[in-house]
Order: sequence, then structure tokens, then C-alpha cells
Amino acid sequence: MKNLLQIDIKRLHYGDKTLATDIKLEVGHKERILIVGSTGTGKSSLLNTLNLTNQSYEGEILFGGRPLMEYPPHELRARICMVMQETFLGLGTVQEILDEPLTYSAQKDLDISDRKQRIYQLLENFKLSPDYLGQKSSQLSGGEKQRIGLIRTLLLRPDILLLDEITSALDQKTSGIISDSIFGHYPGTVIAISHDPLWQARWNRTWRLEGGKLIDNGGVK
Amino acid sequence: MDISYLGVALGLVLLLYPLLIFAHLKIKLSRQLFISISRMILQLSLVGIWLEFLFNQKLWWLTLLWMLVMVLTAIFTIKGRLRFQRKILLPVITTALFTSGIIVMPWVLIMIVKPQPLYDPMYVIPIYGMILGNSMNSCALILERFESGLADNWQAYFTRISLGANLWEAVLPPFRKALHSALLPQLLNTASMGLVSLPGMMTGQILGGASPLVAIKYQMMIMFAIFSAASITDYVAIRLYIVKRFDKFYLPKSER
Repeated sequence: MKNLLQIDIKRLHYGDKTLATDIKLEVGHKERILIVGSTGTGKSSLLNTLNLTNQSYEGEILFGGRPLMEYPPHELRARICMVMQETFLGLGTVQEILDEPLTYSAQKDLDISDRKQRIYQLLENFKLSPDYLGQKSSQLSGGEKQRIGLIRTLLLRPDILLLDEITSALDQKTSGIISDSIFGHYPGTVIAISHDPLWQARWNRTWRLEGGKLIDNGGVK
Repeated sequence: MDISYLGVALGLVLLLYPLLIFAHLKIKLSRQLFISISRMILQLSLVGIWLEFLFNQKLWWLTLLWMLVMVLTAIFTIKGRLRFQRKILLPVITTALFTSGIIVMPWVLIMIVKPQPLYDPMYVIPIYGMILGNSMNSCALILERFESGLADNWQAYFTRISLGANLWEAVLPPFRKALHSALLPQLLNTASMGLVSLPGMMTGQILGGASPLVAIKYQMMIMFAIFSAASITDYVAIRLYIVKRFDKFYLPKSER
């Protein structure tokens, strides 16, 4: 199944500057894709096109056979979720932070029947004890915050997870826990930017941005 | 009881004290004091003459025209005070101030004050002035707070939209915060009313010979009207500001 995402970008730009041309890619279910390339080649720009936070391109991207632009942005972003390097949690307890997206209209059809068990399961995967649920976000360390942020996103059962350098500010141990939980348990597609050597072995496909072109390596055909 | 012009001039004598203090401390404020006082005297004299004329004419269209001048002045005062997103502010502020005025003023005039005729400038102009002045300050304050609430924490905003929040859901936290901080001072001010100092309107009426019991009724009415108008202004302003501030993908428009 290769029809989850069909990317056909003629030109990706930042202002007047062309970052890359002729990017033609298909993405299937459960793929693990790493975007690599040096700074300024357009990795984040490319990743951001996928959740409609960047429109600086010419071309078309289809999600489930339908152009991205035709989706109401909030509905698309409820299915293609982005986690950034610095996750914002807000005030309140971890439980409140995890529940906040449930108030969004785009999440009203989310299946929450087994939510409690899923929260405990995810906390366990990320090596956090259930006691964290009652903790205030202000008491959490950077690594704990990033993990809570990921759990909050994973609870929404996105089809595609976009990760932008999520472990670059973290130590190796935490980074390892995060990569184990995502690769070991998350059933959907992951597209990520990461410089973390710990992560490098676990991808089945890499997209290398170089000299204005995208080179696609691997991937299940 | 009127004061004589000589009496007003004798009031100027009181300014000798600040002048002496400035001279003693060598603060360069004397010039500014002179400019400010002169401007105040000139402006108030002109307004006094103008209002005397306006009140005697009792013409509905002249009253309306003067209200229009007042609201335009308020709009450009706010616009001049704010230093961001200047291109989109004009329609936002204009609609907000007009909306609150159109809702609150008829209620005050038709249901409460009931002047004869309804457009009697002696009532309409001072009441509208107080409502408008407060709405103006509140509007400038909330726009400033809301924009800085966004700018201080774009990361929070982008986190919310990347979790599926729609535009309204994503701006709601800074909206709540801004509205809270714009209206709270007014509420605190309301709560201390009468104990610390007598509000300007009441003072004016009492000095003008009205009974304090009449003056407090006017004051209460004006407080209700002011708070209502400020809330409506603030709410409408932010609702419109959001529409103009973000594009259809809920991304902030860049300021160019």
C-alpha cells in the first residue's frame, strides 16, 4: 500500500530561494522515513508541507488520495501530527495536559473507550511511572516534558507522525527510550528529521536532500 | 455656582509650587509644564465654546456629526498607540467601537436617561464621551495584550494547531488571558468607587449643583454602560483581529 501520501513537489522554496525541485515520492503505511541533509537544504520546510504549516511550494500533495489543501486544516492536523523539538505543554497537571486535545472539535470522533489503559501503557513504554499524571508540568525535566508531549500526540492515534529533531536537546538515555517506544509500539507511519546517531539504524527509508534534489533510499516496494 | 475668570487665573498660582520644586531639583520639566498647561487651556476653551454652541443648537445631525468626530478621533488614537499589524487594525478598531456604541447608547438613552429630545447633546455627548473613552482604552489594551500573548508564545500556538486545534481553539487561551487582563482593572476600579475618590462625572454634577443622590444614580448607570461597552468592544475587536491576523491554514500572516 503506497497510497497514504503522494508527494509531487515541482519546487520547494523559502522566500525567493529555491530549496529543491522535482520531489516525487509515495509513502505507505507503517513506513519509517528519515529526512537527512545539511542545514538549510529544506528538511523542515519539506516536513512542514505535510501538515499544512508551509505552503511555500509548487506542486501537489495527496493524503489518502485527496489533496492536502482540500482538508480543513484542523482535521488534517488531527491525522498528521507534528511534534517539534521544544514541545509546549502548558500549565496544569500531566493528566490535564494529556486531556486538552480532547476538547478540540477535530478530535471529537476519537475512540476514547480504552484511553485509561492506553495512557498507562504509553507511560510504561516511555519509562514513566503512573504517578506522573498528577505532577505539575512545571516540575518536569526537559526529557520528561518531551516524552509527555509525545504521549499526548500518540494518544490521538495519528496516521502519520512528523518528528522535527525531537531528541536533539536530550541525553542519550532519554533519546533511546523515546526511539524504543516509537519504533517498538507506534503502528503508524513516521517521517522524521533527526541527527541522533542512536536513531540511525532503525529507519527503513531515508530521504537525502542534497544540491536541490531529493534522493530516496530504500523503502518497501 | 460659577467661578470667575479671575478665580481660574488665581488657580494658576498653585503651579508656582511645582515650578519651584523643578528649579530646586534642576529637573527640566518647566518647559513641558508650560506647554502642557497652555495646550490644556486652549483645548478646553475651544471645546467649551464649541459645546456651548452645540448644546444650544440641539440639532440631531450636528450631535451625530460630533459623535462621529469623537469616534474617529478615538480610532486614530488607538491606531497611533499600537505598534504592530498596523494594516489590519483600522477595520478592527472601527467595527469594534461602532458595534459597542450602537448596542449600548440607544439603551442608555431610550430606556434610562430619556432626554427630551432623545438626541439632546447635553446628555448624549458627555455620556458617549465617557463610554467611548473607556472603550478606546480597553480596546488598545486588549489588542496589545493579545498580540503580545501570541508573540511571547508562538510555540504554544503551533503546538495546539499541530494537535488538531482549529483557529478558534488555538487562540482561545491567549484570548481569555487578554480579556481577563483588560477587564480586571475596570472591575477593581468599580469596586473601589466612591470610597477613594469621587468619580469625575459625579464630582462635576455635584459641583454643578446636583444632589449627590441624583449624581450616584448617573454614576451607577454610566459604570454599567462603560463596562458593557468595553466588554463588547474588546470581544468584537479580538474576534475580527483573529480573522485578519491568520490565513486559512491558521498560520500567522507576516507583517509586510
